[in-house]
Amino acid sequence: MISHHLGLDYALNPGWMAPYVAGLSVGKARARRCQSCAATSFPPLRVCTCGCLKGDWTDLPGTAQILFRTTGLDGDFGLVHFDGATTKTTLRLQAIPATETRGIIAASGDDLPVLCLTALGGERDG
Amino acid sequence: MQVRDVTVTGAALTPFNRRKDGTGFRDWALSAFEMALERSGLERSDIDALYVASESDFFHLQLNPASVLATELGLTGVAATRCEGGGASGQVAVHTAARAIQAGAAKHVAVIGADPSASSLSGDAVRTLYGFSFDAWTDGMTGLTSTALYALSFQAFAAEHGGTEADLATVTLQNRSNACHNPGAHLPRRDSPQDIADSPAIASPYRRLHCSPLSDGAAAIILSRTDATPRTRIGAARIAGMGAATDHMHLGARADPGFFNAKQMAMQRACADAGATPAEIGLAELYDAYAGTQLQAIAALGLSEDVSRDLNDGAFAPSGRCAINLSGGLMGQGAPVGATGVGQTATCALLLEGRYHPALQPDTLPRYALADTHGGVCTLSAVTILERAERAA
Ligand SMILES: [Zn+2]
Repeated sequence: MISHHLGLDYALNPGWMAPYVAGLSVGKARARRCQSCAATSFPPLRVCTCGCLKGDWTDLPGTAQILFRTTGLDGDFGLVHFDGATTKTTLRLQAIPATETRGIIAASGDDLPVLCLTALGGERDG
Repeated sequence: MQVRDVTVTGAALTPFNRRKDGTGFRDWALSAFEMALERSGLERSDIDALYVASESDFFHLQLNPASVLATELGLTGVAATRCEGGGASGQVAVHTAARAIQAGAAKHVAVIGADPSASSLSGDAVRTLYGFSFDAWTDGMTGLTSTALYALSFQAFAAEHGGTEADLATVTLQNRSNACHNPGAHLPRRDSPQDIADSPAIASPYRRLHCSPLSDGAAAIILSRTDATPRTRIGAARIAGMGAATDHMHLGARADPGFFNAKQMAMQRACADAGATPAEIGLAELYDAYAGTQLQAIAALGLSEDVSRDLNDGAFAPSGRCAINLSGGLMGQGAPVGATGVGQTATCALLLEGRYHPALQPDTLPRYALADTHGGVCTLSAVTILERAERAA
C-alpha cells in the first residue's frame, strides 16, 4: 500500500455570487429578486425559475421558518423558508432547540460562506 | 439519421466490497472487462471505443483515467472518453456509448465503471468530498452532507406522498436479504427491524443501516450493433430505451423538494424511446443510496400509484410483479460509484438472459428491465430500459 498525503489550498472566486458571500459574512440574507416575475430566490439564482436572467440584489429580514430538520452525526440541518423568499433553503441549524420552529441567519465571519440559522435573540456578533 | 439497434453482448461485475487484498482499481477494471469480453464472443481488436465511468479523481488520484485504462486493458489505439455525472456516471457512460453505436460511429464498444470508493480514503474524507457533489457554493460550503440532504428530501416526500419508518425497514431488509444470494455483494445481512432502530443515527430519520456503503469494485459491459452481434450472442438483451434529465441543483428551489422530478422526466423519455410503459417493467435495479431514496424512485419512475401499499403487498419482492434490486441494490450489493450504473445495466442484461446468480434468477422473465441511476439528490438522472431477446433462455 502506498500512503500519500495531499494538501490542497484553493483560492475560489465566487464570481456573480460575490454579494451573497459578502452578505453571509455579516449575517445578511442577500437574495435575488427577478425583474420579470418578482420571485425572490435565496440562495440566489442567476436564472429565475421563470427563465428570466435579470435580477436585483435585495436583503431579506433574515428570519426563517423551519419546515423540516434532520439531526445526526454532523449536527443539525434544515429545509427552511426565509421570510420574503419565494424559494426554500437548505442550511445548518445551530443551537436551535428541537421545539423551536423559527430562527435567524448567523454571520459566517471571515470563514467559509456557511449558511446557518441560529436561535432568535441568540445571533452571533458580526 | 438511421438509428442502429444496440445489444449488450457482454456483461460482468467484480465483487463490490472493501478490498484488503492489495489490488487497485486498474486490476478490477481489467477483471470486469475480460469477463465481459469473453462473454461477448468478441476479441480486443473488435472494440472500437472505450467509455470509462469514474466519479472523482479524488478517489484514485488518477486524472484522465480513460487514457490510462485504454492502455491497461490492452486497448491502446481505441477512442477513449471519460463520462461523469456524479452517482449517475455509470449510466451516463452507458448512454454515451450506446448513442455512439446508434449514430453509426462504432460497432462494438466497451463501457467500464470503476472507483475505489472504500479503500483509498477515509470515510470522513469521502463524506467531506461528497458534500461538494451538490452546489459547492451553498450546500458544500455549509457542510451539508449527502445523508442530511437526502434525509430532508425524504422527509418532504413522506409529508406529501407517504412513507413510514416501517417502510424504510422493509426496503432495508429486502435489499440486504436479496444481497445474501449475491456472492459479489458487500453487505449480505439479515437484520431485524430492531437492529435497524439500534444502529447509529446518521441524519434523522436515517440510521447507519438505512445507508448504502462505500465500496470498491468495477463493472463492464460490451455493447454491439445488433446486426454485428456474434451468432452465439443472439439471446443477449438489447437496449430498448434511454432517458436522462436534470432537476434544480438546490433542493429548496424545487416546487416539491421530495419528488424526484428529473427521474420522472428521464423515465418518460426512456419509455417514449422504448415504446414501453412503466407497467411493463418487470425487473428494476434502482438507485437506493438510502432506504427512502428507493421509495422516492419508485414513485418518480411511475412503478406504483401507492408506494407504501405496493411495497407491503410484496409487489417489489423477488416474486413480485416488479422485483426491485434483486442484486441487493446499492444498500446490499454496494456502491463503487462509477461502477454502479454500469453494474445495474450489466445486472439487468444478465437477468434478462437467464444468466444471473441462480438463486436470484426469476423463473419467468419479463420483457423489460430497468436500470435507474442518479447523481446529486436526483439532480441528474439517467435511466435505461433493456429488452429480453425473443430467443433468451
Ligand atoms: Zn422570474
